[in-house]
Amino acid sequence: MSVATLVSVSNVVLWFCIAVLAIYTLRHYFFTLNRLFGRHRQPFVDILQAEWPSLVVFVPAHNESRVVRDSLDALLTCDYPEDRLKIVPIDDRSTDDTRSILIEYAENYPGRVVPFLRDDGIPGKAAALADAMALHTDEVFLVFDADYIPGTRLLKQLVSPFFDPEVGAVMGRVVPLNVGVSLLTRLLDLERAGGYQVDQQARMNLRLVPQYGGTVGGVRRAALDHVGGWRVDSLAEDTDLTVRLVIAGWEVVYQNRSECYEEVPETWESRIRQIKRWAKGHNQTLRRYLGALIRNRSDLPFWQVLDGVLLLGVFVVPLVLLAGWLCTIALFYAGYPPQWGRITILAISSFNTVGNFAAFFQVAAASRLDGSRERIRMLPFLFLGFLVSTVSVGRASLSRASWLRGQPVQWQKTERHREARVQPRNK
Amino acid sequence: MGSPTLTFVLLLMALLVWMAIPLIPAFMELMRPRDASPLDAVGNDAGNLTYFAESFTARATREGLLGTMVPPRLSDGTAVRTHSVGQPLPVQRTAFDEFIVLMDSEPLPEGTELASECLARLTVRGSANVTYRALLGQRDVYLGPRSVVQRWVHARGRLEVADNSRLWGRATADRQIVLGTNVAFDRLESDVIRVTDVETAEAPVLPTGAYERFVPRKARELGPAYWRVEGGVSIPAGSVLIGSLIATGSIVVNDGARITGSIKAHGEVIVRNGAVVVGSVAARDRVTIERGARVSGPIISETAVVVEAAVVGSSGKKTTITAPIVRLLPGATVYGAVMAAADGLTVS
Repeated sequence: MSVATLVSVSNVVLWFCIAVLAIYTLRHYFFTLNRLFGRHRQPFVDILQAEWPSLVVFVPAHNESRVVRDSLDALLTCDYPEDRLKIVPIDDRSTDDTRSILIEYAENYPGRVVPFLRDDGIPGKAAALADAMALHTDEVFLVFDADYIPGTRLLKQLVSPFFDPEVGAVMGRVVPLNVGVSLLTRLLDLERAGGYQVDQQARMNLRLVPQYGGTVGGVRRAALDHVGGWRVDSLAEDTDLTVRLVIAGWEVVYQNRSECYEEVPETWESRIRQIKRWAKGHNQTLRRYLGALIRNRSDLPFWQVLDGVLLLGVFVVPLVLLAGWLCTIALFYAGYPPQWGRITILAISSFNTVGNFAAFFQVAAASRLDGSRERIRMLPFLFLGFLVSTVSVGRASLSRASWLRGQPVQWQKTERHREARVQPRNK
Repeated sequence: MGSPTLTFVLLLMALLVWMAIPLIPAFMELMRPRDASPLDAVGNDAGNLTYFAESFTARATREGLLGTMVPPRLSDGTAVRTHSVGQPLPVQRTAFDEFIVLMDSEPLPEGTELASECLARLTVRGSANVTYRALLGQRDVYLGPRSVVQRWVHARGRLEVADNSRLWGRATADRQIVLGTNVAFDRLESDVIRVTDVETAEAPVLPTGAYERFVPRKARELGPAYWRVEGGVSIPAGSVLIGSLIATGSIVVNDGARITGSIKAHGEVIVRNGAVVVGSVAARDRVTIERGARVSGPIISETAVVVEAAVVGSSGKKTTITAPIVRLLPGATVYGAVMAAADGLTVS
């Protein structure tokens, strides 16, 4: 291949990268401006009284003895009618005290806490949920990870969108509890704010594709049945379900006021593992459903299809970014330096678009909307998180596991650091 | 000083300092955190319209305002003024910033402005043009014509609001709310809310077999008795749709029809005379519940809800109407809550 051909190819790739990154950048700006100046769409948040549907709250747990008591205690204090609520903690092959704790709760709260204990079958959250849900015929299923601590009104808030028969799934907002532990937790706090307060809510406002995140959310049983239940071979069962519901015509709703505390990773190793897992799962979903999403474009609004495609491709962006950088370097050393404008666009765009990373301007807007004035000072440090995320997501996206259709799954969980018990918090 | 190296070094240092400026507050916040606590989750007042009334009751009890001897001042120093037959508020002074305790049912002077919270120990009989900042009635509360409530009002019994009044914030009652016409409101909650004191008969719900079965044509089945239709749907009069229906156009439930599940329209929903929806009604556009109709579940609209002389919810099945704009006509009866995010009004 001649140098001239290489230069041409590099230029084409570079321009492709710039185009992709520019689209993501525009999307982020648009979302942020929508949140700052647009109409806040939350049609279900004011449903105070209703005949609440029968509800099962699943709490998947694998070696969660450090945190599961807090979660169960918080769920037990929720104001959902007791006769319509079952709490089903799922123990899947724990090797710590998780199982005995669940049995203790079942004895103390007979009929209210009904544990589901697994010793065999396919491991993993999706498979555990699939097995547990098969035993229940209730109308609505909510899912909370074992480290999540819901407030007293959260269950009603999350169930209220299901009064709209078109709603297939709902997602609440995740709020870090261990914010002040380290630089990483502070950065993740900012990142979560940008991701939920701006990104998710803007997609809700614009009727795009808010994402069901696998916890602090739930699904209508009829919708789950309609799309074929949980895919047990999925690494990201939440994204997988979101896309299938959207393709099938169901609406996914994000409720910004439905806030729930979580424990974010406190070490960089833990964070890297988490984001790599997300990247692999997301890319697997991209491969599975990109075609179906585009083929279904006649049944879905154009902007919803576009947002779905961009949502699925979000963890490929670091690869695009790296490819752009490589092309820039190659062109430079081949004696054909790209114009500075291109590099500038590339740099700005890439910074704002990588993976699950909430971009600077999104984070700033989110902090303003949250009314937290001081934590915005940490914004420059997000560059560090950006670099770590880029490399981690890039490596995960290059791995073979990212692109396999089906594969053996196992329990993937984030390390817990909680030492002391936590009480449910309300203002 | 003119050396190129020195110039370079100085420029480099200036550049580094310039780049480090944003890091200064970042490092300061990292070293001495000022905002590192978790964000507050949803407050206790969210989802509980009587939160302020409950807090106020607790405070009134704590301050001894419900006892036989009302203290002259609250613990924070605020003066307490009582109003009764024997000691009414002075008519010539129209504005009061003291804490007011209404000792009996002596009407407040017309045009009075109460700039502080007000506790009524017995039934309140408000005169016309009275402005209340916040009012807690231990029994029934009657607000006169053109009354204004600035923050909240709660009646332990019945709350009745005369024509042309304005209820900012929350208006709640343990037993019943009766609104006159042209009453503007934000959020209402009670066992039953009526517009004008007219009893509206509930549309009968006959056994399913009494209706002609309706199945939407060209519908996609999302599940057992769960339909999705591209375009609009008109449910014929006197028929029954067993299940739930989603339409990307508008939905009209004609006279006397019945839906056993819920309905959702991307356009408008009209529930006509005598029609019954057992589940909820959701729409992106306007929802109109016409005279004689009945909806048992929540009504959710992203635009507006209009309820004529119809019934929403039931005494044993409280529900909620929520929309940016809500219009309630005389005879409208709602069991539960009415939430108007932008503009709620009773109209004649």
